[in-house]
Amino acid sequence: MAKEIIMPKFGFTQEESEILEWLKKDGDKVEKGDPIATVSTDKLSMEVEAPESGILSGVRYKVGDVVPVTKIIAYILQPGEALPTDAETAAPALTPKPAEVPAVSTEPAATGNATPVAQRMMQDAGIGAGVLQGSGPDGKITKADVEAYIAQPKVEKPVGKAAATPAARRVAAEGSINLASITGSGPKGRIQEADVRNMAAAPIAQTAGTTASAEPTRIPLRGMRRIIAENMTKSWQQAPEITFQVDINMDTARTLREVSAKKVNGVMKKFSYTALLTKIVAWALLRHPTMNSRLEGNEVVLLPYVHMGVGVAIPDGLIVPVIKNTEQKGIFQIHDELKDLAERARNNKLVPEDLEGGTFTISNLGMYGIDRFTAIINPPQSAILAVGNIVEKFVPDENKNPVLKPIMSVVAIADHRVIDGAVVAEFLADVKKGLENPGVMIL
Amino acid sequence: MRELTYREALYEALDQSMKEDERVFLIGEDIGVYGGAFGVSADLQKKYGRDRVIDSPISEAGIAGACVGSAITGMRPVGEIMFSDFVVLCMEQLVLQAAKIRFMFGGKAKVPMVLRLPGGSGTGAAAQHSGSYENWFVHVPGLKVVMPSTPYDAKGLLLAAIADDNPVMFFENKLLYKTKGPVPEEMYTLPIGKSNVVREGKDVTIVATSVEVIRSLEAADKLAEEGIEAEVIDPRTLNPLDMEPITKSIIKTGKALVVHEAAKTGGFGGEVVARIIESEAFAYLDAPVRRLAGLDMPIPYNRNLEYHAAPQVENIVEETRKLVQGVY
Repeated sequence: MAKEIIMPKFGFTQEESEILEWLKKDGDKVEKGDPIATVSTDKLSMEVEAPESGILSGVRYKVGDVVPVTKIIAYILQPGEALPTDAETAAPALTPKPAEVPAVSTEPAATGNATPVAQRMMQDAGIGAGVLQGSGPDGKITKADVEAYIAQPKVEKPVGKAAATPAARRVAAEGSINLASITGSGPKGRIQEADVRNMAAAPIAQTAGTTASAEPTRIPLRGMRRIIAENMTKSWQQAPEITFQVDINMDTARTLREVSAKKVNGVMKKFSYTALLTKIVAWALLRHPTMNSRLEGNEVVLLPYVHMGVGVAIPDGLIVPVIKNTEQKGIFQIHDELKDLAERARNNKLVPEDLEGGTFTISNLGMYGIDRFTAIINPPQSAILAVGNIVEKFVPDENKNPVLKPIMSVVAIADHRVIDGAVVAEFLADVKKGLENPGVMIL
Repeated sequence: MRELTYREALYEALDQSMKEDERVFLIGEDIGVYGGAFGVSADLQKKYGRDRVIDSPISEAGIAGACVGSAITGMRPVGEIMFSDFVVLCMEQLVLQAAKIRFMFGGKAKVPMVLRLPGGSGTGAAAQHSGSYENWFVHVPGLKVVMPSTPYDAKGLLLAAIADDNPVMFFENKLLYKTKGPVPEEMYTLPIGKSNVVREGKDVTIVATSVEVIRSLEAADKLAEEGIEAEVIDPRTLNPLDMEPITKSIIKTGKALVVHEAAKTGGFGGEVVARIIESEAFAYLDAPVRRLAGLDMPIPYNRNLEYHAAPQVENIVEETRKLVQGVY
């Protein structure tokens, strides 16, 4: 019997996923457990695995389609089996027209302004609308456009050392050729000896090629990028933001770090400024619950716990892993969890739970040397804290003499529908107090 | 030159060395009256008598022990284990005694013995009579391991093994006994520890042993029709292993495939690949070095399954083609 492949639900709050890539094509043989497609969830790319061995058939969606979870996206057939008929699989109204492949492939909306042949070819190759530029009349995408696109070597540039054979490395080293400048023709873009020799033999042609292709790079808006775009637009359009800034003297915080790094209870232990900030912000949020709330319909929901989202930059964008119940955790535990989350974020090892349920966000760009900045609230949260660099500045001491102090600017951005200005001001004052004199937290 | 079969070439080597050197004697199961399970010793008992062609009891440990002991006292024994699989029963004699004695006695004693070991699958003899265990002995310092693929190599290497003062494990292949090739009539030896380039080519290097040499040559002919020129190298002796022609070839071709019948995991191919990676040929590799070997399973009795358990010509063709086309 035809086995249905459904769009999996990876996270508790996830309702739909975008298909990022079909790893197998209609008609491909698959083994149980083989990844057959990459889809995006809230912020992660996940793989959909074959639930059974057989032949992938009746693929219903193309790259770029957003599919509600649990909807059938394709089938696994055994040899000799046919796809189920429409009647057996009548899909609910929400789903795009299901079942037979031809039905999908003739849907004009799917491939936009393209000739029928080009449309079919794009369907087969899993090329989404908007990826190709048409060269035909009125910008119509033609067969030649699709062929040219498919013929392009699709090279995934991995992070780290260039993939090259030992022979390619030797020839490159002999000719002082930078491997990074070469496109590999081997499996997965691996640089072969011939690639290096061609490069060395035709430096002029290579330069000419570069000049000729001086066209803008077009990156389709998909996956995490698209989700960030949607969330930020929603936030910007719906939340009237108010912004407050305060400078904080980090003298005490710095001393605290130094003392801790030397010895705590006989053990040296380090923590980051972000960990300290996270701890103090969690304390301040409990004192000002509207800062830690969300607007749900006609209600403001004050949350009895702090799940702190902390922004981490990764190659494809920014990801905000969440430290659950920050208010119950000590600074060293926060530090360790932050380190672990950041590391896993950079290695693409986060699981959906790591990103879910944040109640407030701290975005720290201090390490980039940014003095101060504003951020956009991450819905459904009601506020966000933007943290800048620590800079040595002259400030007056009690005798009005200039002294050098480490100063950090923090900016709080809040949703004025939910939070009044005075609350943000009090919250920020508490953050400042906590950092300048952590003792207040035990009073 | 006249042609002999692999079996006849081995017979001739035994016959000539027995005629020339009366220290040479044969011992094994059913090698005398019956002439050997594969007919290698044929009528030698009639020619040389029951003292020099000894039908042993069914005790492989006894055969190996008699070889080690008589070799130490100055004889030149050539033992036969009817199916090389049963060499497992000789392990103590070979690994702890034969391989170590010269070393432990500071060179005052030597063990000039040869153990002939017919091996390999493809005869429908199932799991206990089809094994390829040569690499077990490659791992034992003090033993030489020889594995000829042609009648010419079989005669020259067997004569060299008998003349050698060290214990030599001589792996024959049951499917090769009937293959024919030119063999000189006179006594000649081939050096132990010299690899042989059996076919020249510029696109890819195939290193193969025993019956897989023959299959690789057939595969190379097929590949040549597609314009792929494979160089085929037969190490002939697995230990000591002569890497020079192999590295030289890879420096030319940039691609290498190692083929043997024994199971892949822990097999001789791993050693060859490791030595390639360690050598100067590393910097000339333009693709991963691939191994094509027997499946990691006992040899099945079912003839179809047995066929697929060892690399066949079509497997070598396909794997080589992929390697050359840049699939790997």
